[in-house]
Amino acid sequence: MPAAGVVMIVAVVLIVGALVFYLVSTILALRKITRGLDEAIGGVIGIIEKSAPVNEVVTTINQNLDAGVDLLEGLLVKKAGLADAVGLVEGLYPGAAAEGFRNFPDSKTVKAPRIGEVYTRGTLTLARLGREAPIAAASPNGPALRNPAYGSLAARGLYPEGRQAKPQAMPRSPVIGADSPVQYVPSDSPGVRERMPVPAGSGQAPAQSEHNPQGGPVKSFLRRLKNDD
Amino acid sequence: MILEWIGDAILLLVVLPVVVYLLRGVLNAANSIVPSVQQIAVAAQQGSRDLDAAALLLTTQDQVVKTIETAADYGGSLDVILDDAR
Repeated sequence: MPAAGVVMIVAVVLIVGALVFYLVSTILALRKITRGLDEAIGGVIGIIEKSAPVNEVVTTINQNLDAGVDLLEGLLVKKAGLADAVGLVEGLYPGAAAEGFRNFPDSKTVKAPRIGEVYTRGTLTLARLGREAPIAAASPNGPALRNPAYGSLAARGLYPEGRQAKPQAMPRSPVIGADSPVQYVPSDSPGVRERMPVPAGSGQAPAQSEHNPQGGPVKSFLRRLKNDD
Repeated sequence: MILEWIGDAILLLVVLPVVVYLLRGVLNAANSIVPSVQQIAVAAQQGSRDLDAAALLLTTQDQVVKTIETAADYGGSLDVILDDAR
């Protein structure tokens, strides 16, 4: 065989070898791509299936929330009046008055009153407790009364000192009943006792009330009328 | 004879390099797609897992309905016990 023919055969073998190598490598890479796409398609199908009811559910939630907003806006405006309602909302959420109420277009043009000038301090306190944040930033200019972490303790500050801060120092409620340690005699008239209560078994004679030695104030008044006669 | 050598030269110096170049380009392109596809697959699976909580929207829906009903009852009571604004 001539040398040129051998060289040609070698060249063809090289070309075929290169074709086989690269095409097999490409096939392997394409198989990897196919597997990856299968996984991706599975994930996408999962996303589609899981997100299918989201639209309907979110729509329903929005409808319910819209109904709630309509209800609360209507109730607030009905009870407080449009101007005060806008003022209260402005006090709770500064800047919200500019947006107005959804169902009351006139609320955008209402001049919101300063909430501190309209309502008492107690109302503001209640509003602050509900808001968990400083309200009516301009008036009054104080911190939020309610601490979210210790909300129950903060609420005690609203009541007189002693009852809430030191409940253990308060006298216990009286024990009532036929065998109670202190026997109470029913009074003839409200606020006036026939005699002061005496602990059972103490041996003390029941003391007569100074206000009513022999009866209630009506009987005493009638007795005095007789004496005058 | 000379033509045969010329043909051999063309095969070895032109055809073989061109074939290798083209096939290599195809292989590189295929290999470059593989990591992207794998990343897409991972992202799709993670996205699918993230949507597992979407089922809780049904609970949220029920809770919203109950909350609105409670607010409506409360509002009705307030409507009764509070006077309307003048």
